[in-house]
Amino acid sequence: MPQDTLFKGKLVSEQKAEDITRVEELAYELKVEEVMTANPSTVTPETTMGDVLVLFRQTRISGAPVLENGHLVGLVSIEDLLRCLQKSDLESETRHYMSTKLLTIKKNEPVIEALKLFVSSHYGRLPVVDDDGNLLGILTKGDITSGILQAMQHDYQEEEVRRYRASHLFEDIESDRSSLILRYSIKQGDFTHGGSASSAIKRALLRLGATPQIARRVGIAVYEAEMNLIIHTTHGGLIRCEIEPKQISINITDDGPGIQDIALALKPGYSTASDTVRELGFGAGMGLVNIQRCVDSMRLESVFGQGTILRLKIFLSQEDSVGEGS
Amino acid sequence: MNVNELIEIIDGNLLNDSADLSREIKGGCGADLMSDVLASIQPEAVLLTGLCNPQVVRTSIMADVAAIVIVRGKTPPPETLALAEMEKIPLISSPLGMFALCGRLYAKGLESLERPVDGSDCDCGQ
Amino acid sequence: MNLQDIITKLDLKTLSSVEKDLSSNKPACGYSSDLLSCVMAGAPKKSIWITLQAHGNIIAVATLLDLSAVIITEGAIPDETTIEKANEEGVVLLSTSLPTYAVVGQLWEMGLRTSDPDQPCS
Repeated sequence: MPQDTLFKGKLVSEQKAEDITRVEELAYELKVEEVMTANPSTVTPETTMGDVLVLFRQTRISGAPVLENGHLVGLVSIEDLLRCLQKSDLESETRHYMSTKLLTIKKNEPVIEALKLFVSSHYGRLPVVDDDGNLLGILTKGDITSGILQAMQHDYQEEEVRRYRASHLFEDIESDRSSLILRYSIKQGDFTHGGSASSAIKRALLRLGATPQIARRVGIAVYEAEMNLIIHTTHGGLIRCEIEPKQISINITDDGPGIQDIALALKPGYSTASDTVRELGFGAGMGLVNIQRCVDSMRLESVFGQGTILRLKIFLSQEDSVGEGS
Repeated sequence: MNVNELIEIIDGNLLNDSADLSREIKGGCGADLMSDVLASIQPEAVLLTGLCNPQVVRTSIMADVAAIVIVRGKTPPPETLALAEMEKIPLISSPLGMFALCGRLYAKGLESLERPVDGSDCDCGQ
Repeated sequence: MNLQDIITKLDLKTLSSVEKDLSSNKPACGYSSDLLSCVMAGAPKKSIWITLQAHGNIIAVATLLDLSAVIITEGAIPDETTIEKANEEGVVLLSTSLPTYAVVGQLWEMGLRTSDPDQPCS
């Protein structure tokens, strides 16, 4: 595998060396027909070498399969053309110069098999055939390189396109003050889905161009609050996350039962959680403490018997700002 | 060490296909209380835990965990597996217990990636 | 290896008042989990239990299982009733600001293992 080519491309040069492993994986995953050049230009044994020269020059190829009545009988390459030129024999027919010692590869073989053939044979190209030996395409080492690069790019592109669009959101929409509001209702006792709202918020922030640190802080704070709604409330509650270019405001509200002693609730290690909840890995009395550590401002208001509202704010510095390109 | 090497050291069994096994692991953290994990773990650590519920995966996403190891050969429920698969985070089951896992990985030079929890500190693990 | 060696090596704080000589307390193996039900099911007799749980129930678990000592990690401090209960029951309660992972790592380096390699206890 020509490694320098792999690293020259912009996308790949930004990837870490770990991606090499992905390249190896792809060599096993990708099938020959996915990377080959389909419907290649072909010639017949009767085509003159002069016409082959014209074809190679015009289509910028360096080899072509030779077909006789639709059957693959040989391969003519630029090396054959050079031999012919040395003898000034361009009037001659391809049948005299083409190579007939053919190595072919089946369309459904993994790319790695083709690579092995290239290495062992030193051939520059392999005709690709179906199970009946009919020609389907031609494969060069360059096809493999670009096929793998494309597959790798595809892995990243989807998310990148989304991220690019979202990161210009506030730039594209004009108003005196724009904000994006995300709302989630959380069901009491729904442990299985606990964390899905905070995951969605974290992902949205990353797409909007927030730094991983900001996304992590918001994610952790909202996750703890989300679990509190699931564990401690009577009917669940609401999460409202307002995203503005310079700040993120999150309000978490519920309608009961309310907190009896707020100061005590804020004490590290204090918890009213049941043993069942503890066995689930929560209720260690660190939730509100964690939230406080992650946000720039936190206000907890509660009326016992009525409900609780938790207001969180995270301020973004110039570098951190979201939705305004970069 | 990367996830592949980790699996080897702990006799692990990878439970999902979508994960990137070349991901580098910067340190270790062993805990069963998710709030504690959220409070103290630093990004790109391996989380060793005895919990199997989907919250383990959620917590790991929030805390940028590089891989999850379930101790004592437990098999997580389908919802946990599905979430790990969707979020592309390596979920590994090891026959070893928490004590042996921490010991082996520490002996292999994998440092602790938790910071002491300090109330005055509010940078939240960056 | 005795408990006094461990306390010295890891610079542990002793929370419970200990009258007995800790160098005669020789832990058989190590066990770590924060889930009380798992500890109940898996921690062998005379093992050292490493946890970040500082909840009062840990004393009951330690007494029931006849553990050698409990090391509370990450600087978590149990409330006074828990410490009093530890004193009443003669449970050795130790504390460190280090996380569980680092404590176990160092104990492992000192040679402490799980009870049976084929049947790991934690």
